[in-house]
Amino acid sequence: MKIAVVGKGGSGKTTASAIIARVLARNGAAVVALDGDTNPNLGLSLGVGVDETERLVGMRQALDAADGEHASDWDSLLDLFGSDGPDGVRFAVVSQIDNPEPGCP
Amino acid sequence: MRVAFIGKGGAGKSALAGTFARLLAREGEQVLVIDSDPMPGLALSLGLPVTDAGIPDDATVERQAGEEGPRFKLRPGLSASDAIERYAVSGPDGVCLLQFGKLREHVGALMRSQHAFHQIRQEMPLDRWHLIGDLPGGTRQPFFGWARFASVMLVVIEPSEKGMLSARRLARLSNDGEEAPAEILAVVNKARHEDDAARIEARTGLRVAVTVPWDEELADAERLGEAPIDAAPNSAAVQAIASLVNQLQTGVLP
Repeated sequence: MKIAVVGKGGSGKTTASAIIARVLARNGAAVVALDGDTNPNLGLSLGVGVDETERLVGMRQALDAADGEHASDWDSLLDLFGSDGPDGVRFAVVSQIDNPEPGCP
Repeated sequence: MRVAFIGKGGAGKSALAGTFARLLAREGEQVLVIDSDPMPGLALSLGLPVTDAGIPDDATVERQAGEEGPRFKLRPGLSASDAIERYAVSGPDGVCLLQFGKLREHVGALMRSQHAFHQIRQEMPLDRWHLIGDLPGGTRQPFFGWARFASVMLVVIEPSEKGMLSARRLARLSNDGEEAPAEILAVVNKARHEDDAARIEARTGLRVAVTVPWDEELADAERLGEAPIDAAPNSAAVQAIASLVNQLQTGVLP
C-alpha cells in the first residue's frame, strides 16, 4: 500500500507517519518512508537521529547538484541516498529546503 | 515597526502575530497585518471570522514585455494606500488585515496577490503604519521577500527537537547572501521548562527575545477559534506577548 499523510502545520503529520511506518515494519512489512516536507523532520520521529536526518537532506541536495552518482532505479536510489532506520524502515528525504528567494507561493 | 513572524508549521506564528497586532493597535497605533499563508488562521487569532476577502485579480495588471519590475503590479491609479483601504478587512481595536483570498486555489491568483503584497509593503506610508507579517510555515521560502524589509524577523520556536532543527535551518538560511534579514530573534513558544530558552539559544544560536509559556487558557482559545487577547486577556501567554511589544516599542529590542 501507499499512504500519504497530509494536514495543517503542527498537527502531527510527521509523528503519525513515523509511527505508521515503524508499526508496519514491526508487523513484517517492507517499508519505505519518504519525507516530502520542505522542512524535513521525519528522520527525528523515525529515530534515525538529528545528524543522520541532516545528512540525508544534504544527500538530496547533492542529487540536485548532480554531485553524486545517479542510480538507475528506485531501489539503488534508496541505497545511495537513503538510510536504514530502526525496525528496517528504509528512509529518504525527497524534498529540498534551501530556497530562500521569494517566488510563487 | 516592521515585524515578520516565521517558523515551523504549528509553532504558533498566527496566534502570536494576531495577539501582537491587537496589543499594538490597542495603544492607538495604526497596524496592518499581512497574512501570506494560504491556510486560514490569522483572522481567528485577530478576532475576525474567516473570510475570502483578499486582493482580487483585477487589482493587479501584468507588466508589458520589456517593462522593468516583477511580473504583476497594482493597476494604474490604485496606490498602496488605496489598496489597503479597499481590500484590507478591519478588525477589533482598529487592526487591518490584508490576506490572500483563502478560498481561491489557483496559483495565478496567489501570485498576483503576492506581487500586490510586495508592492503595497514597499509603497505604503510607513511613518503612519506598523506592519506585521504572518509568513507561511516551514523553510521553503522562509523570508518570503520580508528579509530586506522587516526591521526584525521573529522565529517562533517550540522547544522540541523538531522545532529547534527547523529554527537552526532558518538561522542558517538567514546568514546567506542577499536575502539575509537585518535582525533575527527567537520567540520561544509553549515553553514548559525553565531551561527551554537557554536550550534554544544554545542549539540555534539565535538570541531569545521573549519566552511565551505553555498556557492552557491560550490553548482553549485556539481550540474554540477565539482571539487569545479576547478570550484570555490576562493569561501568561498574552502578557509575555505584551512584553515583547513593549520591548520592541521602547527599543530594548532588537
